[in-house]
Amino acid sequence: MERVPAVEGLFTEEGGAKLLGSKCATCGTVYFPKSASCHSPKCDESKIGDFGFGGKGTLWSYSIQDFPPPPPHKFDKPYEIYALGVVDFPAGVRVMGQMSIDNLEDLKVGSEVELVIEPLYHEDDKEFTSWKFKQL
Amino acid sequence: MQEVKVLGVGLHAFGKTGDAVVGNKPVTELCRKAVVDALKDAGVQWKDIQAVSAASSRFSGGKGWGLNGNDIVEEMGSTGIPVYNLSAGCAAGGNAFNIGYTLVASGQYDMVLVMGGEVMPKGFIQTSGVEEVTDPEFLRQRCVGMPGPSFWSLLARRRMHEYGTTEEQFAQVAVKARKCSVHNPYARFQKAITVEDVLASPYVSNPLRLFEICPVSNGAAATVICSAERAKQFSGNAVTVASSTVATMTFDDGLPRGLAAPPPADATLHSEAKLAVTKAFDQAGIGPEDLSLTELQDNTVYYELAFPEEWGICKPGEAESLVAAGETTPTGKMPINPSGGFVSFGEATTAMGVFQVCEMAWQLRGESGGRQVPNAKVALSQTLGLGGNATAVILKK
Repeated sequence: MERVPAVEGLFTEEGGAKLLGSKCATCGTVYFPKSASCHSPKCDESKIGDFGFGGKGTLWSYSIQDFPPPPPHKFDKPYEIYALGVVDFPAGVRVMGQMSIDNLEDLKVGSEVELVIEPLYHEDDKEFTSWKFKQL
Repeated sequence: MQEVKVLGVGLHAFGKTGDAVVGNKPVTELCRKAVVDALKDAGVQWKDIQAVSAASSRFSGGKGWGLNGNDIVEEMGSTGIPVYNLSAGCAAGGNAFNIGYTLVASGQYDMVLVMGGEVMPKGFIQTSGVEEVTDPEFLRQRCVGMPGPSFWSLLARRRMHEYGTTEEQFAQVAVKARKCSVHNPYARFQKAITVEDVLASPYVSNPLRLFEICPVSNGAAATVICSAERAKQFSGNAVTVASSTVATMTFDDGLPRGLAAPPPADATLHSEAKLAVTKAFDQAGIGPEDLSLTELQDNTVYYELAFPEEWGICKPGEAESLVAAGETTPTGKMPINPSGGFVSFGEATTAMGVFQVCEMAWQLRGESGGRQVPNAKVALSQTLGLGGNATAVILKK
């Protein structure tokens, strides 16, 4: 089955899971998704370049999606309850994403997580992927 | 700048499509009732209104529903007056009030109608339906799948981690809200509930349950505001607008609204709300200690705990014990949402900021019946909307 990103250009699996963001060389602010310019009002000069990041981070908080969400989210039927997380990466950015975890009871604020690319839904004989956070 | 008064207020009771209260009434019919009540309360005629500031969702992101202020002017009678349609997500009602206030304060007009109303689509609030990869809200919903309640429950879970808040304590806030709305004939939910009832309601997004979040509702709100000079010609019911402010979020806000944000060490999570409220205090020369009551945007019970702490109305981590002691009830030391709040009304997005003004006016006039805050003199309201929008209003006797 062909494996394609749910939205192109946001992440890559080549050489390990990475989110494709930007970083300002002047002030060090990291953006995800990519930004055409630096938006920090304290930054003297926008010097934006591509910046991929991933690896491990810390779970700031999480929530459980107890009901099927409305469009434009897509999911495989029958619906399975999933968790959402907010993760602080050492690269200096806080990111939202779905959690990759077998037992929702095991979720814990403050735990170490790792960025992974995993299937989100299947459609037209294709597997659509997104970034997720795997609790370690 | 001239002083501005709230001369009259009106609401259409909130309900769910198909019920006995709102049935299948279109938004124009809901708004007409609110506007007619506000005009009557003010003692003025439609032809006295010089401009309309309308909270409008029609123009925000192409959503297929929503209020267009021009439709209401046509409904009431096309007098040719200017209509300002303001969109700011759930903060639109507050934005409309601020523009109406500014039009009068500046001397441009001396009598303006501010209004909002909605017939909401069923279920979770959805994005525009346009699949645009430059829209962070589309990306968040397609790639992550995070409707409003899940966003709120991230905050609730974080509070549980930081302060040890329990599910029972969240439930107590919902019980308090209904204790108020029992006395509010405009509320969608007017039945008292117990902590057991709340904890027996299903999770919408764990740890938040059905009775702890606001559903979508249909409803409308309107207020006639005028200059202090003009108000002298009418009955003595008018209350004074001490300040009206609008703010947007700041760069260092620690709560990602799209997919990511810079992680601050200790920044506020709702910078736009804090900024709007702080500006309202400064401009009015009024402090948190002067408040008789606060009407804040409780899309979920979490906000009723977090917001008073973020604005200095109480100390960080103190809110749960104040709720437990009954201090947030109308007769407590720190009354919060005596109307019953969003949790009791449900949210008719653009009506909310105006609905809060109606409740504050009734409270300051001593007309709130069983939910009356004794001897209310100063009231604060606040809204928070998608896109990093927030507003605040302070009314005084």
